[in-house]
Amino acid sequence: MTDIDEAMLIAWVDGELDEVTRRRVDRAVAEDAALAERLAMHSRLRARLSGHYAPIEAEPVPPAMRAQLENSAKVAPLVRPAPARWRNWGMAGAIAASLVLGLGIGQLASGPAGPVAVQHDVMVARGELASALDTQLASAQEGAAIRIGLSFRRKGGGWCRSFEGVALSGVACREGEAWQLQQLLPGAADRSAYRQASSSDARLMATMEALMDGAPADAAQEAEAKAKGWH
Amino acid sequence: MSFESDLLAILPRLRRFAASLSRDSADGDDLCQAAIERGLKARDQWQPGTRLDSWMYRIMRNLWIDEARARQRAARTFAPEEAGEHVGHAGDRDVEAHVMLSDVDRAMQSLPDEQREAIALVLVEGLSYKEAAQVLDIPMGTLTSRLVRGRGALIELLGEAA
Repeated sequence: MTDIDEAMLIAWVDGELDEVTRRRVDRAVAEDAALAERLAMHSRLRARLSGHYAPIEAEPVPPAMRAQLENSAKVAPLVRPAPARWRNWGMAGAIAASLVLGLGIGQLASGPAGPVAVQHDVMVARGELASALDTQLASAQEGAAIRIGLSFRRKGGGWCRSFEGVALSGVACREGEAWQLQQLLPGAADRSAYRQASSSDARLMATMEALMDGAPADAAQEAEAKAKGWH
Repeated sequence: MSFESDLLAILPRLRRFAASLSRDSADGDDLCQAAIERGLKARDQWQPGTRLDSWMYRIMRNLWIDEARARQRAARTFAPEEAGEHVGHAGDRDVEAHVMLSDVDRAMQSLPDEQREAIALVLVEGLSYKEAAQVLDIPMGTLTSRLVRGRGALIELLGEAA
């Protein structure tokens, strides 16, 4: 028997142990198969729970809730008063600088072309869209220009991902080294599409439903697929 | 960024939290809408620079607790014959819900409220112990013991035992 109790195993899984205690648990687990199994069990439970609720977070916000906020924004000022904005000018400067930088890099990498190209007679993602599909995880994309919705395996094999950006939204599937676009819709900047988010979302949902094999990937499965280059 | 757009950005996570507290995702969306409404009304009480997500988690959690207490009171208050009228209907609903709910939903449902909210914040929302204890306004030790007991119950219910 060791002095590792249940609360310590759980804190290990939750990432709450300091370095010294974590090493102590690691050593104890390495020598005790029963303890190792208990640790695995707690990891499985956490993965199962977070995986179970993950699709809700990945779904588009329901139109009714969006409307609640939009109606409120119409009554209250949509932007904070000017003084607060000026206090943040340093941040604004940083954003402007990164935009300029981003523009430069974008042009170097992909030339003047947009996010979509035709390659061997099929429509593929390129530039910023392609790199978002390659690298962005649905679980970590605060402030990203393009948001990844769901990642899922398609019937017959291969990965697909839904995305939503300012200019376009859609669904793309991995074909070789490229992301082949299965569906392309106007993004959030298209005012009418934004208003009718439900119909645009319904079209995306229908496409995903038709393609999807089983359940969408949870955060761990998504990260693993990314690590394997979506193959 | 306006208050509304800040709120919109965290809405996917708030919906997920609401679903993990509620019986199903439809009840979760009702809770989420009520929390948005409350948050918009109380927006002056939110201090810019502090975390909006923690503030909204707290609002939602308090609404959920109030609602649960109101339901319990109603269940005690209604006369037996009145309850009798609804037995058939309620029974159908339960059967329906039983079919619709997954194992995880059912297991979460069966946890005492105080364990469910702790599990939801840490295992589903990924909050640190410190953040979760602040949202729930309880000491860290209380939080960790609820996490231990809640997990034990879930493991038994979900058959994740070693």
